[in-house]
Amino acid sequence: MSAELVLQKLTKVFKGRGKPVIAVDHVDLEVQKGELLTLLGPSGCGKTTTLRLVGGFEFPTEGEIYLGGQPITHLPPQRRPTATVFQSYGLFPHMSVFENIAFGLKIRHIPRAEIRRRVEEVLNLVGLAGLEDRPPTKLSGGQQQRVALARVLVIKPKVLLFDEPLSNLDAKLRVETREHIRRIQKDLGITSLYVTHDQAEAMAISDRIVVMNQGRIQQIGAPHEVYLRPANAFVADFIGRANFLRARVVAQNVVGIEVELTNGERVVVEHHFDFAVGENVRLVVRPEAIDLVAPEEGLLRGQIVLVQLTGASAHYRIALDSGETVEVEILGALERGVLSPGTLVGLRLHSRSLWILRE
Amino acid sequence: MPRPPFFSVTRLLHDPALFLVIFVVFGLVGLFVVYPLSRVFYVSLFYRGAFNPRYFLYFFEGRPYLLRPFLNSLTVGVLVALIGTTVGFIFAYAVTRTDIPGKKVFRWMAMFPIISPPFLLALSAVLLLGENGLITRWIFTRFGLRWSVYGLPGLVLTETLAYFPLAFFTLEGVLMSVDPALEESAMDLGASKLRTFLRVTLPLTIPGLAASFLLLFIRSLEDFGNPVVIQGRYPVLTVQAYLAITGMYNLPLGATLAILLLVPTVLAFIILQLWVGRRSYITVTGRPSTAGLHTTEPYVKWPLFVIVLFLSGIIILFYGLVFYGAFTELWGVNHTFTLDNFRYVFSTGSSYLINTLKLAGVATPIGGLLGIVIAYLVTRKTFPGRRVLDFLAMLNFAVPGIIVGMGYVFAFNTPPLQLTGTAAIIVLIFIFQRMPVAIRDGVAMLQQIDPVIDDASADLGAGFWQTFRRVTLPLVSPALVAGMAYMFSACVTSISAVIMVVSAKWQLVTVALLHEVDNADLSQAAAYGVIIIVVVWGAILIMDVMVRWLLGRWRHVR
Amino acid sequence: MHKLWMATLVMLTVITGVSSTNVLHIYTALDVDEAKIYIEAFQQKYPHIKVEWVRLSAGELLARLRAEAANPQASLWLGGPSDTFIVAKEEGLLAPYKESLGWQYLPAKFKDPDGYWVGIYTGFIAFASNKDYLAQKGIEPPTSWFDLFRPEFCGKISVAFPYTSGTGYTRFATLVFLLGEDKALEYEKKLSECIHHYTKAGSAPVTEVGLGEVAVGVAFAHDVIAKGVAKGYPVVLSFPKEGTGYEIGAMALIKGGPELDLAKVFYDWMLSAEAQSLFKKWYRVPLNPEAELAEGLVTAEMVNLVEYDALWAAQNRDRLCELWQRVTGY
Repeated sequence: MSAELVLQKLTKVFKGRGKPVIAVDHVDLEVQKGELLTLLGPSGCGKTTTLRLVGGFEFPTEGEIYLGGQPITHLPPQRRPTATVFQSYGLFPHMSVFENIAFGLKIRHIPRAEIRRRVEEVLNLVGLAGLEDRPPTKLSGGQQQRVALARVLVIKPKVLLFDEPLSNLDAKLRVETREHIRRIQKDLGITSLYVTHDQAEAMAISDRIVVMNQGRIQQIGAPHEVYLRPANAFVADFIGRANFLRARVVAQNVVGIEVELTNGERVVVEHHFDFAVGENVRLVVRPEAIDLVAPEEGLLRGQIVLVQLTGASAHYRIALDSGETVEVEILGALERGVLSPGTLVGLRLHSRSLWILRE
Repeated sequence: MPRPPFFSVTRLLHDPALFLVIFVVFGLVGLFVVYPLSRVFYVSLFYRGAFNPRYFLYFFEGRPYLLRPFLNSLTVGVLVALIGTTVGFIFAYAVTRTDIPGKKVFRWMAMFPIISPPFLLALSAVLLLGENGLITRWIFTRFGLRWSVYGLPGLVLTETLAYFPLAFFTLEGVLMSVDPALEESAMDLGASKLRTFLRVTLPLTIPGLAASFLLLFIRSLEDFGNPVVIQGRYPVLTVQAYLAITGMYNLPLGATLAILLLVPTVLAFIILQLWVGRRSYITVTGRPSTAGLHTTEPYVKWPLFVIVLFLSGIIILFYGLVFYGAFTELWGVNHTFTLDNFRYVFSTGSSYLINTLKLAGVATPIGGLLGIVIAYLVTRKTFPGRRVLDFLAMLNFAVPGIIVGMGYVFAFNTPPLQLTGTAAIIVLIFIFQRMPVAIRDGVAMLQQIDPVIDDASADLGAGFWQTFRRVTLPLVSPALVAGMAYMFSACVTSISAVIMVVSAKWQLVTVALLHEVDNADLSQAAAYGVIIIVVVWGAILIMDVMVRWLLGRWRHVR
Repeated sequence: MHKLWMATLVMLTVITGVSSTNVLHIYTALDVDEAKIYIEAFQQKYPHIKVEWVRLSAGELLARLRAEAANPQASLWLGGPSDTFIVAKEEGLLAPYKESLGWQYLPAKFKDPDGYWVGIYTGFIAFASNKDYLAQKGIEPPTSWFDLFRPEFCGKISVAFPYTSGTGYTRFATLVFLLGEDKALEYEKKLSECIHHYTKAGSAPVTEVGLGEVAVGVAFAHDVIAKGVAKGYPVVLSFPKEGTGYEIGAMALIKGGPELDLAKVFYDWMLSAEAQSLFKKWYRVPLNPEAELAEGLVTAEMVNLVEYDALWAAQNRDRLCELWQRVTGY
C-alpha cells in the first residue's frame, strides 16, 4: 500500500494584529491509498487548517505536500486532484441539485449525455434519486449534505477532504450519515482525509486517527490503539474520558510492569514500558474499566459524591480515600440498581485496560 | 519562528488567469487613477521643468486668494458634517425606531438629493432666500430682517440638504444592525428607555456617526455645483481651482488649490478607512427595519415626525420650485406658463442629452463590472499588493471630482495617450471616478455570499473566470444591476470631474446646465434640471423592475 | 467573407462617426441664445455644412485654445473682445486669412494688420440697474464709476471676474486707462468690498439685476438690452459720465483647425451685410456699414468713450489679472 498523500514538515503561521499564531507546526503525515484518516482534536488544534492546506485554500509557510508522488504545494485548488465536502456544504443556491452536482463535470467539458449518466449514477449512490430539480434551499440538512457529497464524488477525485461535514446535523442523523459516508468511501476505495472534533465519530469510521493539539500531532494510530494506548495525557483525556491515578513503579517483569498506588495497593499493567523502578508515573484508568464492589473487596476505596444517569449508563464521581477523584461509568445501571450519593464503595480495575503515562 | 516564504508570486504563477486579471487591474488603476493625480502634484510643484512650489509658499505666507478659500472650505465642511450627521441621525432614528406614519415616503424623499443633478438646490435657495427671493420678500422684509443666503449660510444650507441622505442611509444601516439583545437586556436590567438609548444604543452607533461625519466632510469639500451658484463672497477651493484653470489658465495655481483641497479629503478618507473599516456603510437598497428598541411614546415620536416632515417638506419645496420654474417664461419675473424652455432643451440641448446618455451608457456596465472584479479580488483573494490595490482603487472616493478632471487634462493632453477632446476621456473619467462606489457596493454584495461557495467552486475545478462567470455573477446580479443604476445616475449628474474635458464634439447635459446658470437663464436651467431628474429616476425605476425580474428568475430554478 | 469585411468596414465608419468632413467646429464667446441666431442663419444658407459649437467665456476659450494647441478641436473662434484675440495671436494660436474681402475692406483700427483676426461688432460697457429697486429707493441709475460706492448700491453689485470674462477684463482695463494702474487697483479693492459677488460670465450680472438679486451690474450695453430690457426684466441702462470702455468683437481662424476651409466660408459670411444685419437682434453695433441697425441702438456718438488701447490691454492681461487677484483676494 503506497502513500497517496504525503505532508512534509507542513507549517502554517498566521500573522494577525498581535503575536503570530502557529496554526500548524511541522506536521509530517502519510495517508495510505484507500484509507480514511481522521484529524481529531479540539477547536484551534490545527486540524482544519491542515485540511485547507491540502485542499489549497491556504498556503503553507513552510513544508511540502505531495499527492501521488507529485508536489502540489503551490497549486491553486482548481488544479489539485482533491475535492472537499465543506461544513456548510457550499451548495450553489442559484442552481438545482442536478446542476450543482454537474458543475464539476461541466467545468471539465464533459459531454452532456455523459454528464447526465454520471449524475444519475451518483444520485442513486447517495440516495437522492428524484430530487434533481429541487433548489438546494428546499432540501433538509441531511439531503443537502448528500448533495455536497455527490458533487465531489461525481468528479472522481484522488483524495476526498471532509471538513466536519456532520456538525450541522442533529445527533441521530449524524450517526446515520457517518455510516453512509464510510460505506461509500470503502466501496469506492477513495483516499480520504476527515476532520472532526467528535471523538466518537472519529472512532467509528476511521482507519487511522491523528490526534492533534496546538498545531502538533500528538499520536497517530488505529482507533483501538489510540484509545487503549494513548501516547500522552492529552490523548488519553481527549478520546473518551480518563482517570489519572498517582503511582510509582515498583517492578518490571515478563508480564508487564507493576506499580504501587498511593494507598499501597499494587497493580500490574500488562505491557512493556520504558520506565525505571521507583519512577513516579500516572496510571490511566478508563471509567468503564472500573467495577464497583463492596468497600472491603475493592483495590481502592471511596465515597460517591455525584450521580448522573444517561439512560444507557450511570456515571459516578467518587472521591477516593487518597484524595483523588475518579469517574466511573457503569453500563446498564438502571437495571441493576443505581447507587446513591454518599455510598461508600470499593473499586476494582480491569487490568487489561490499564495504561501508564509519564508524570 | 519559521520565515514566511518569498511570497506568493510562485503561487500566483500557477494560476495564470488570476495573475493576468491582477496585472491588468493594477495597470488600469495605475494609469487612470494614480498617473493623473501625480500630474496634478507635478504641475503644482514644477514650473517649466524646475522645482518651484510658488503657490504653496504663497499659501504659507498667507496670501488671501489661497488662504481664504482653504479656510472657507474647511469651515463649511465641518459645519455641514456636523449638522448633516445630526439631521441624518434624527431621520434614521425616526424611520428605524419609531412607528411614525409614511416611512416609505420619507425614505424616497431622502433619496432625492443623492441622485439629483447639481446646482438645483442652490438655484432654489436663491429663488427662495436670495436678495429678491420669495421668502425673503414675503417674510423677512416684513419683519425687517436682513439676511443673505449667499456665502456661508447658503453653502451650509444647500450642502446639508444635499448630503444628509448619505448620513441617513449610513445610520439607518447602523441602527438596524445593533443587536436588539443588547438593548433588551439593558431594559431587562431596569434601565429606562432613555438611559438605554444614551448608554447602549448611542455608543454602539458611534462608528456610524464617525463614518457619516467624515463622509459628509469629504463630500462637502468637493462640492462644486452649489458653491458655483451661491458662494457669493465666500470663495471655496473647488470653484477657485476651476476658475484658475479655465479662467486664467494658471495651471500651477489651479493645481495648488487642488492639492490644498486634496489634503483634508484624503486625510478624512484614511481616517474613515482605518477607523470604520471596510464594512459597507451604505446600502441604498435598504430593507424595512424591524428589531430593536422601539419608541412609541408620543412625546418622542411626534416631535421626530414633525422634524422629518419639515425636512421632507423643504426637499419637496426646493425641487418643486425647479419643476415649477421649468415651466415659466422668465423665472423670478414672469411666471406665465410655457413649454418654450423644454422646446429649447430638446432642440439646442438634444445632442447634449444624447451624448450624455451614450457616454454614461457605455461607462456604466464597464465601471460596474470592473468594480465588482476589483471588489472580488480585494476581498476574496490574497496576492502581493492587495492592500495597495484596495487603497488606490478607492482613492477617487476621496479625490474631489475637479481634481480628477484636472488630472486627466494634464495627463492625457499629449501623445502617446492623447485623449482630450474625445469621447474616451469622458468615459474614462466616468468609470474611474465612480468606480469606488461600484467597488464598495461590490464588497457589500460579496459579503452576502458565503465564501464557502467560492471555495467550493474552485475546489471543483473552476478557475477565476469560470467561478466569476458561473457562480459569483449570477448571485450578485440583482445587486449589481441596482448598483449600476446608481452609477448611471451618478455619471449623468456628474459635473466637476467632467467640466474641463467636454469638447465641441462631446458636450454633456450638466455642463449645458452650468452654462444656463452662468448666464442666469434660470428657466432654461430649470428645464435641463427637470429632464435630468426624469432620466435619472427613469433609470432607477427600470433597474427596480430588472432586479425584481432577476430575483424571480433564479428563485425558481428550472 | 467579402460580406463580412464590408459589414465590418461599414460598422467602423459608422462608429468612428460618419462624415467627419463637412462638420464645422466653432468656439464662441457669445451668449448661447445669441450665437444660435447667427449659426442657424448660416446653416440655412449653407445647408451642407453642419456646425457643432461650444460656448465658453473669453477667458475659458483662450485657456482651451492653449490647452489644445497641439491638437485643436475647433476651426473658428466667433466673438469675444479683441484683446483675447491679440493675446492668442501673440501665442501663435491663430491662422491668418488676408484673402478675405471683408477683412480687406475694414478700417485698420477694427482689425489685425496681419489678418489674424477681424472685428465684427463693437460694444460699450454700461450699467444695468433694477427699476423696481431704484423706484423703491427713489434714486436715479448710476452715472459715474464712483456711484457704485454709494450706500444704496454698495453690497448690491455684481460684475464679472476680469480673468474669466472679456467683459470683466474690459471694465477693469477701462478703469486702468481712466485712472492709471495704481488708482485703478485701489478702486478695485474698494469695489471688492462693495460687491455682492463676482460672476464668471460677463453678461450674468444683467439677469441678476433683472431678478432683483443685485441692484446694479456692469456689462456690455447690448447685453443689458438683449438679455435684460428686451426679455422683459425691469432693467435700466445707463453709462458712466467719466467715460466708458468698449470692445471690438472679433472673429478668427484657429491655427491647425480640423476644417479650415469650412471656417473660411463662415468667416466670409459673417462679415457680409446680410449676416451683420442679424446683430440687431442682439442690439450690437455692427462694423459693416451696410448692415441694418436695431431701433433705438446706442451708437458710438451717443457715449463718452475712453482711449482704449486694446493692444496694451492684451499684452498686460496676465500681469494685471494677477495684481487684481492679489489686491482683491479673489
